[in-house]
Amino acid sequence: MQMPEPDQQIIARRESICAALGKLVPAGSVVSSEEGRRAYDADGLSAYRQLPLAVILPETVEQLAAVMKFCHAEGIKVVPRGAGTSLSGGALPLADAVLIGLGKFNRILDIDYANRCVVAQPGVTNLAITHAVQGNGFYYAPDPSSQTACSVGGNVAENSGGVHCLKYGLTTNNLLGIELVTIEGDVLRLGGKHLDSGDYDLMGVMTGSEGLLGIVSEVTLRILQKPATQRALLVGFDDTAAAATAVGDVIGAGIIPAGMEMMDGLAINAAEDFVHAGYPRDAAALIIVELDGPEVEVDALIDRVAGIMNKAGASSIKISTSEEERNLFWAGRKSAFPAVGRISPDYLCMDGTIPRRRLPDMMVLMATLSQKYGLRVANVFHAGDGNLHPLILFDANQPGELQRAEDFGADILRGCVEMGGVLTGEHGVGVEKRDLMPIQFTEDDMKQQQRLKCAFDADHLLNPGKVFPHLHRCAELGRLHVHKGNMPFPDLPRF
Amino acid sequence: MPKIQNLDDAATVIIDAQQNKRRLELRGLGTKTALGNQPEYDDCLDVSAMQGIIDYQPEELVLTVRAGTALSAIEAELAKANQMLAFEPADLSGILASKSTGTIGGVLATNLSGPRRLTAGAARDFLLGFDAVSGRGERFKSGGRVMKNVTGYDLSKLICGSYGTLAVVDEVTIKTLPRPETSLSLLFGCDDMKSAVAQIAAIFASPHEPGAAAILPQSVAATAGLDMAAAMIVVIRLEGIALSVEDRAAHLRHMGRRDRGGVVGTLPQAASEALWARIRDVDLLAHTSGDIWKLSCAPASAPAIVAAMESSFETTFYADWAGGLLWFAGPSGAEFGTALRAALMTHGGGHAQLLCDRAMSKTNVPVFQPLPPAQASLTKRVKAAFDPLGVLNFGRMHNGI
Repeated sequence: MQMPEPDQQIIARRESICAALGKLVPAGSVVSSEEGRRAYDADGLSAYRQLPLAVILPETVEQLAAVMKFCHAEGIKVVPRGAGTSLSGGALPLADAVLIGLGKFNRILDIDYANRCVVAQPGVTNLAITHAVQGNGFYYAPDPSSQTACSVGGNVAENSGGVHCLKYGLTTNNLLGIELVTIEGDVLRLGGKHLDSGDYDLMGVMTGSEGLLGIVSEVTLRILQKPATQRALLVGFDDTAAAATAVGDVIGAGIIPAGMEMMDGLAINAAEDFVHAGYPRDAAALIIVELDGPEVEVDALIDRVAGIMNKAGASSIKISTSEEERNLFWAGRKSAFPAVGRISPDYLCMDGTIPRRRLPDMMVLMATLSQKYGLRVANVFHAGDGNLHPLILFDANQPGELQRAEDFGADILRGCVEMGGVLTGEHGVGVEKRDLMPIQFTEDDMKQQQRLKCAFDADHLLNPGKVFPHLHRCAELGRLHVHKGNMPFPDLPRF
Repeated sequence: MPKIQNLDDAATVIIDAQQNKRRLELRGLGTKTALGNQPEYDDCLDVSAMQGIIDYQPEELVLTVRAGTALSAIEAELAKANQMLAFEPADLSGILASKSTGTIGGVLATNLSGPRRLTAGAARDFLLGFDAVSGRGERFKSGGRVMKNVTGYDLSKLICGSYGTLAVVDEVTIKTLPRPETSLSLLFGCDDMKSAVAQIAAIFASPHEPGAAAILPQSVAATAGLDMAAAMIVVIRLEGIALSVEDRAAHLRHMGRRDRGGVVGTLPQAASEALWARIRDVDLLAHTSGDIWKLSCAPASAPAIVAAMESSFETTFYADWAGGLLWFAGPSGAEFGTALRAALMTHGGGHAQLLCDRAMSKTNVPVFQPLPPAQASLTKRVKAAFDPLGVLNFGRMHNGI
């Protein structure tokens, strides 16, 4: 993974930059020592590490704006970081960039039941929002699996999802307002406690922009009343294609489950060995369907789903009769990643999406690729929305295996796009999938996205080297009448 | 007027316009030209020929359709599979005196969402991806044809509600949802706006899953054929399978008896659907004179905003989105809108749009909420990123945008 060539002049000025930043924030808020910076050298994609130029931990929006203004004036790059749980390297530091940590923005500012929303600083964890309102029966719907650790500001940057987004949507569908600090140090408030504004939806564009357009300094999140009941079905299939069809049959029958997850044989057995959830070991595919809502509705729909599953050829069906049993059904799924970690020294977690009807084709492709690369793959899917999480098993200590695993992963994502899907369903592009972007987007598609970037950050100072494989100068992107194959100026070299 | 068949045509027309320093007004079926400002233009660009359903997979909840397709044709197709556009786009043809509900492109361009927006999301929440030609005359696409996708910037959000000022869109992919098997509405009587908003808040703090919530003052309720004794009628819509709807209705009736006000009626499915269509389409204000304004506000601020307006003006209003959407009919001219925006600013902020301008009030008052300076300059830069010469619908939203 090549990152942009660090600016040695900036690196040479490290001490004076730290001193200047120190004047903008309280004492102890600039981390300049090597051991201090070491704690920030990677995010959840730990295969990539880099010491940042400096780490700065502002405490107020005024301090954050002052830091941004300083960096902008001095031409210093900035990498934003929430809780550092990104699985795609969104918060990977750069040698010549200041890492801005939002960890001290850790307060919930307003719990507003009358307007059914919570106003929070970006460093508050996802689960803390639910904890703050659950006493009144409310919760915050998006539930990424890292929800005990990940921050709501990071959720906005990555447009995080979770197992319940089939019914309740991603972050973007549950966000009412943000405060945003631009690279120039301007503070904008977009949205609020109301639903729609009649402006360009800049908040919608900020959501999922992976730290390339601005830093979120406050969020207003919609909270919902917790459903009265939740029950789950655990359904085994001897045949993956039949399982995939069954998932479509449920939705085709007009039922939107709260969650609908699928696991393949290898994942089933790894999970069963780990947590003994009572999964059918001989099944080729396992589906967990969760229904939530009023008790009479859930009971009626459970029966309908069970009927659909039977008709589709299910080999086994279990229906939860208690919260304990429902949690046990989920325990295997939720521990799938560590369970696979027990059977392999290392694994790569991929994150493509396909049209769900192509799942059988995807299973065939993965089996073929598994043969080709000589590596095993375990599959966990958010089946309801076609989001795949293949786990490629490898051993980093074997020469060449990491590269083989990465090539395998790239081939899977290429397959996703060829089948009409996309490179990433919820983990983000970051650095991990940056160089695969041309599989999904043409050069013109990406240039238009970068023109939007230029509207927010004309000097490419915010999180450069992420998302886009080629950087184009904004002046070049702004020129009109560039005819195909006859560029007036060649592209900047690929980094 | 150039009538384009596809995006290649669009690119040709746009590049020609750039070279000849001409501006274009985008036009589908022309049903929403009254929304927003009249853009500066030299030629119309007719996009209504880009029609047809390209792909519809009910089991994937995904529909791909060309932007010039009539909304009515799409809704008919979805109904065959028992599905719907869950954001419930309004039919404004009544108050805008237009001929039809227009095209899906027009619905998305104006981010037009109805009562279910409160619980299901707006048009912008359902656009998954699109193909377009920018005001630069260059083709680009964004998003995809699958439900879950975070690859690249979410330009779908930006295109929704951009009133054709950024790009000419052809194919759009939209998330569909199953139609509820049945629905009904409960009517609660309340003494005033404050207790109506509180009643709704209590219902939304219960696990009984209200799907839509409106507040009709007595006179507006009478327009809708509801003859009620209470000053304010709260209308709560419940949707889902019959067992569930009946069960939740029973619980909410019990809450209504327990709380002040009480349940004053139940509308069965057909009557409920008819009422919600009139609420959605602003038909309940169609008989008023003067202008119609649309306010998006914090739901709990609605009573104070209404009180401020009623103290100074002859006005008729009603609320949707649990109080978060206020429809006001008031005198034409700048004064009413200016007062609305002042009330909004005092009570939590939001957005006020002059929706139905019956006497050229827009020459004196901005149609859209004026933008704060930093947001205005960013908005201008975003416009320039897509349409640097201002070829497309120039001035439709704001001065220069």
